[in-house]
Amino acid sequence: MADAVVIPQVQPVQPALRFLRLIPGVLLLAAIGYAGKLLEQNVGQYAKAHNWVFPNIEYVLWAILLGLLISNTIGVPEIFRTGVATYEFWLKAGIVLLGSRFLLGDILKLGGVSLLLVAIEITGAIAFMTLLGRVFHLKPKLITLLAVGSAVCGVSAIIATKGAIDADDEDSSFSIAAILALGALALFTFPLIGHYLHLGDRAYGIWAGLAVDNTAEATAAGALYSDAAGKLAVLVKSTRNAMIGFVVLAYAIYWASQGQAKAVGNKAAFLWQKFPKFVLGFLLISVLATYQFFNKDQIGALANLSRWAFLLTFAGVGLRTNFRDMRKQGLRPFAVGAIGEVVIAVFTLGLVVGAEKLFGF
Amino acid sequence: MSTEESGVPSKKPWRLSLDSWAVVVALLAALLVRVGVFKHIPW
Repeated sequence: MADAVVIPQVQPVQPALRFLRLIPGVLLLAAIGYAGKLLEQNVGQYAKAHNWVFPNIEYVLWAILLGLLISNTIGVPEIFRTGVATYEFWLKAGIVLLGSRFLLGDILKLGGVSLLLVAIEITGAIAFMTLLGRVFHLKPKLITLLAVGSAVCGVSAIIATKGAIDADDEDSSFSIAAILALGALALFTFPLIGHYLHLGDRAYGIWAGLAVDNTAEATAAGALYSDAAGKLAVLVKSTRNAMIGFVVLAYAIYWASQGQAKAVGNKAAFLWQKFPKFVLGFLLISVLATYQFFNKDQIGALANLSRWAFLLTFAGVGLRTNFRDMRKQGLRPFAVGAIGEVVIAVFTLGLVVGAEKLFGF
Repeated sequence: MSTEESGVPSKKPWRLSLDSWAVVVALLAALLVRVGVFKHIPW
């Protein structure tokens, strides 16, 4: 008798049901984001009316703080989790719409400079993280994941690399936890350092885009400084994101040559699969805006739509960050990540200051 | 036993990635603003 293999029948979830499951979490993101906006408007007025000395806290920070408070006290109930996870979707849609505020000439000018800085940052960060991981005797694939996460684009890069180099789940969750914890720290420290050093909006925005790993945190760290800095942080971070395919491909080829990962067949298809498509959407909207497909009022409306999308993202950043879960992941990968991030932050700050003097952006 | 182990190639249904969905939705929103369905988006 042949072996009776019982394959459990997985009922496909209907698209309508999948959509309905998103609603509670999306409403929670919207409620927290909007509460952040109301707090920005009302707390400042209240403090002024009562002659209190109170710093002007922007909606970005309020939304993140409210999310952090919920996530680290009562936690995010199961019913909201699917919808809360859509914050990545809102981030990418917001970036595409933000393209309407860039003229193609600006992108070519700043994109050229940022491409050069990004290339230097990625090379330096990968080399340093690899060296540091070896000093701390981390596993080779864990070093690869941490290097890619801190050099290119945080969690997305780690997930893309994990599949390409057949890394363990444990290694990827270590790396993701380290990158997320450090991203949360960067959110609060970068604006303070920027103000302390009296960095201009451009220099700060480029620095945040170069040094903060996750796209959501880089966008928030930029927006916390100023609107102009937020725009530049997104542009530079998108340039970094565009490099993800090349870096992951290089690592996939390396690990395949070591006999520890599957060989890459069609390299062009691999690159296209890993390429972040929202970068193309951002460029397309920017081309349309440059050739006056939209009038001034319409560009204003698109910019506001982008802000609403980012509002949901910032609420999601707070809700997604749980310090207890991060502590469980252990100290060594975190220590390597933290040392690496500090060195990368100082290195990229030097790059930006040098480039500002050289190119005068 | 997975289908890969039994030699039967698994055929994944074609789906848009999260990135692509974000681009589609953002472009659709931009088009609706362009044709005047959404005239003013407050902030």
